[in-house]
Amino acid sequence: VFDSVFTALFRHPLLAFQQGEFSFALSRSLVIPLLVAAVLAAAAVFTYRSARGTLGRGDRVVLGGVRLAVVAVLVFCLLRPVLVLSSVVPQQNFVAVLVDDSRSMLLDDGTGGTRGGTVQELLRPGSPFRTAMEERYALRFFRFHSGTERLDDPGELTFSGTRTRLGQALNRVREELAGVPLAGVVVLTDGGDDAALELAEALPPLQAGGIPVYPVGVGPETLTRDIQVSRVEVPRRILRGSALEVEVVLTHTGFQGRSVEVVVEDGGRIMATRSVQLPGEGQPATVRIPFTAEEPGPRLLRVRVPVQEGEVVERNNLREALMVVEDRRDRILYYEGEPRHEVAFMRRAMAEDRNLQVVLLQRTHEDRFLRLDVEDASELAAGFPRTREDLFRYQGLILGSVEASSFTPDQLRMIADFVGERGGGLLALGGQRALGQGGYQGTAVAEVLPVVVDGSSARDGFWGQFTVAPTRAGATHPVTRLAEDEESSLQRWGELPPLSTHNPVTRLKPGATALLTGRGEAFPEDQVVLAFQRFGRGKALAFPVHDLWMWRMHADIPLEDRTHQTLWRQLLRWLVEGVPRPVELAFPPEDPEPGEAMELRARVVDRGYGEVNNAAVTALVTAPDGSTTPVPLQWTLARDGEYAAPFTPPEPGLYEVVVEASRGEEVLGEQEGWLRAAVSDREYFDAAMRAPLLRRLARETGGRFHTPASIQELPEEIRITGGGITQVEELSLWDMPILLFLLLALVAGEWGYRRARGLA
Amino acid sequence: VRAATLPVLLALLPAAAAGGVWFTTEDGSASQGAETPVSPAEQVPMSWLLDRGDRSPMAPVAAPQERDEAGWPGGPPPREFYFTRGIYSDHGWRRRQAWATDFPKAEEQFLTVLTRLTGVDAHPGANPVRLDDPGLRRFPILYMVEVGYMALSPPERQGLRDYLLAGGTLVVDDFWGSAEWANFHREIREVLPEYPVVPLPMDHPLFSTYYQVDSILQVPAFRGAATAWLPTHERDGYVAEARGIFDDTGRLMVVINWNTDLGDAWEWMEQPAYPLRLSTFAYQMGVNFIIHSMSR
Repeated sequence: VFDSVFTALFRHPLLAFQQGEFSFALSRSLVIPLLVAAVLAAAAVFTYRSARGTLGRGDRVVLGGVRLAVVAVLVFCLLRPVLVLSSVVPQQNFVAVLVDDSRSMLLDDGTGGTRGGTVQELLRPGSPFRTAMEERYALRFFRFHSGTERLDDPGELTFSGTRTRLGQALNRVREELAGVPLAGVVVLTDGGDDAALELAEALPPLQAGGIPVYPVGVGPETLTRDIQVSRVEVPRRILRGSALEVEVVLTHTGFQGRSVEVVVEDGGRIMATRSVQLPGEGQPATVRIPFTAEEPGPRLLRVRVPVQEGEVVERNNLREALMVVEDRRDRILYYEGEPRHEVAFMRRAMAEDRNLQVVLLQRTHEDRFLRLDVEDASELAAGFPRTREDLFRYQGLILGSVEASSFTPDQLRMIADFVGERGGGLLALGGQRALGQGGYQGTAVAEVLPVVVDGSSARDGFWGQFTVAPTRAGATHPVTRLAEDEESSLQRWGELPPLSTHNPVTRLKPGATALLTGRGEAFPEDQVVLAFQRFGRGKALAFPVHDLWMWRMHADIPLEDRTHQTLWRQLLRWLVEGVPRPVELAFPPEDPEPGEAMELRARVVDRGYGEVNNAAVTALVTAPDGSTTPVPLQWTLARDGEYAAPFTPPEPGLYEVVVEASRGEEVLGEQEGWLRAAVSDREYFDAAMRAPLLRRLARETGGRFHTPASIQELPEEIRITGGGITQVEELSLWDMPILLFLLLALVAGEWGYRRARGLA
Repeated sequence: VRAATLPVLLALLPAAAAGGVWFTTEDGSASQGAETPVSPAEQVPMSWLLDRGDRSPMAPVAAPQERDEAGWPGGPPPREFYFTRGIYSDHGWRRRQAWATDFPKAEEQFLTVLTRLTGVDAHPGANPVRLDDPGLRRFPILYMVEVGYMALSPPERQGLRDYLLAGGTLVVDDFWGSAEWANFHREIREVLPEYPVVPLPMDHPLFSTYYQVDSILQVPAFRGAATAWLPTHERDGYVAEARGIFDDTGRLMVVINWNTDLGDAWEWMEQPAYPLRLSTFAYQMGVNFIIHSMSR
């Protein structure tokens, strides 16, 4: 309505005023009339000034002003105001029409039909839109999904693509129509693009070429009733037997307050279910579902919510995630400086864990060491490792009650590098010779730790008891979760007897997270009981507790209680989770489609965890049909130690990738990884029309965003805003109806004023 | 004269262990007495050690040592290790209460040696605890003697059973012959009916954790050790044996020293007449018990 009223009053659409440049097409023949007008204006002012009679000063100003305004409007018209526009020359330009051919186009468009049906109706030969377009431009049709193809007839659209790669489609169209004058690109889509980066990269060439994009968004902006499994987070690799948490984020519209089940399946077997009540409109619900990874190998977890009645999109109730359960044995070096009950109880707690080996090096007297669970007679024979190679063979390191002065400065640096460079997990326990009491303040190890090491209480000897409680982060963390659900876990924490420490630790480093804190009489501030921080490639934990074994021995702890064992297992498994190996694999993108080009990428280091650039790296790829292909990887030059090779999975299924790296005779390492190629379901996620994305696309390229309702304006709009071959057009403005209305209003106003004042 | 030869012994013990040389001669040269370093604050109140003359089989045993709420003996910050002696009910056939045999001198001398030979942060005094005391759980290593006279009450049985299953280790010592064995075996069967008593093979890590012990010696009571013509055995316990009870995971819960009396060697080793061979063995075994159960 606004646009049509505007056009009626101003003769041209608003868009023309926005795009055009305003100027006066003044010619010499008009100078004389202007001079006349000036004389008339001067005369008018003079006569009003000199008039005597009943007129007051105020009346003179008002009437003089109105007269001057009338003269000004006439002068404005005489100056021949024009809008200068560059407009697209009709019939000499091309317009590319891109049609989304992906599966999401078969979803409901909010009016009862499908989105694809709406598009086909718009583009049907003889439809008003197509006719209006064809009158002005030569049209070229394309369809796009994961690829982009020319389309002769919109009836050929199948809407079966599994991805929407808009950026790639825009690039392709720009390249294909590079030789012809291109006025613009019309994109008919629901905006379900899943390659945001590609899109961002496709924009600058369009901007440089002055090619505007006109997105036409089909489909509703919000789905009326839908539940979606928006995100599923699981660790990519996990040690067999580890407790883990599947984090599921549900979003919904129209199911507020409904209680739904979230089901986690592994190979058709239900591993866990959790009931969740959906929160208010627009709020996501986060569900953490604990379970234990028992079966080794690649596991395809399916997380689903049973389809509720009346859901618009059913296929977004299921998400799959690939997780590799590794049946290897990680090794943790525990260096303890004195005979301690904690050692025995921890070893007993870890004895049943087949996937973690705690290697004990215990100083039983000044220069006497007890080594347990070593691999051979030479391991640790000379005490704590003196070379990086010897230390970095472990995935985790526990420092017990052992003073800093028992290490050389090199060894302290090496321990810090174990975390920062090797990416290992460091756990600092409490004790009479640990942390501040052990003189660690100012050492390289103290830098790595998540807590501020303070030795001020070291001289007098400190001892205090505290009751332990999990922090907010600790309540759900896989290390400190003691029961299936949060509530019973918190309840269990509340029942545990107090512990004690020799190390008052109250300050966290910036960026560190506390999982457990303690309160007791001896502590003016809360004691930090368990805290961690990421440091470099690895992580460091502080656990300044003296007698965790009391949670096994205490008379209040029932004999069948497994809290002590659970805590140690979860703690040590988390300590070594994600610790890098000499050869690390990555597969960008992580979830390719069959036939989609991707990369096999590996990071290779030597035994001292220095990057290796001259290694021979080969991937043996075993396809789902059992055939094995060797793929040599090349150093990428971009980053030290990084190797890559292009790869295209030909068929859907699970590919086993074993990468071997060697340097000369020396084998650097071998790593197995799993890669899943599958037809993607992501078209069904976030399936509402994404107007913000499309608006941005229009704004950044100089085009305009439309919906099927406003599409009739598009042909004319392209004429004014489009690129290609353009001509300069002058739109005269002197004959705008609004000017006539203005003049009449002024004259009528003057007459009315005179009447009101009794002057006429 | 007490502890007159202690410094000499302390010097000889590690050498004996390292070289595998057994010293059989005694050096009685007197030096200034080395007092066991027990600070007054940590001294155990001795009043309750007096014989109460109560001879009934279910005689109430001695009052437990005073401890704070947390279960530690009062005083400065607790130590890592307490030589804990189990107080138990006995049949009352002996003049003294059976649990207190060699108490407290045996452990006091042993602790002095232990802290010299190892890095164990040990409380220097004795620490007797009743089996039915929940505070027993603070002390994961327990020593009991004269178990041939043991007559446990139901709370004591339950206390000991729970202690062992929760992770405690019991070392029993100084009981001789088949009759005392039968009594001990009957009692321990009541405590741990599901776990059998098995012989400890010499290749068990217990015998090599800190010191390498190659054979089990019979350590006789003091008079038998120091006097050549007296027999080393008591009653029909001719051959010293080490036996054990393991839990489901293979952890050594109970170490049984039968037909031998390690505690007597700990108690009397400072006597010039006491054979070094036997005291060395007794101390090495004692150290191994403690290091073994503090690391496995």
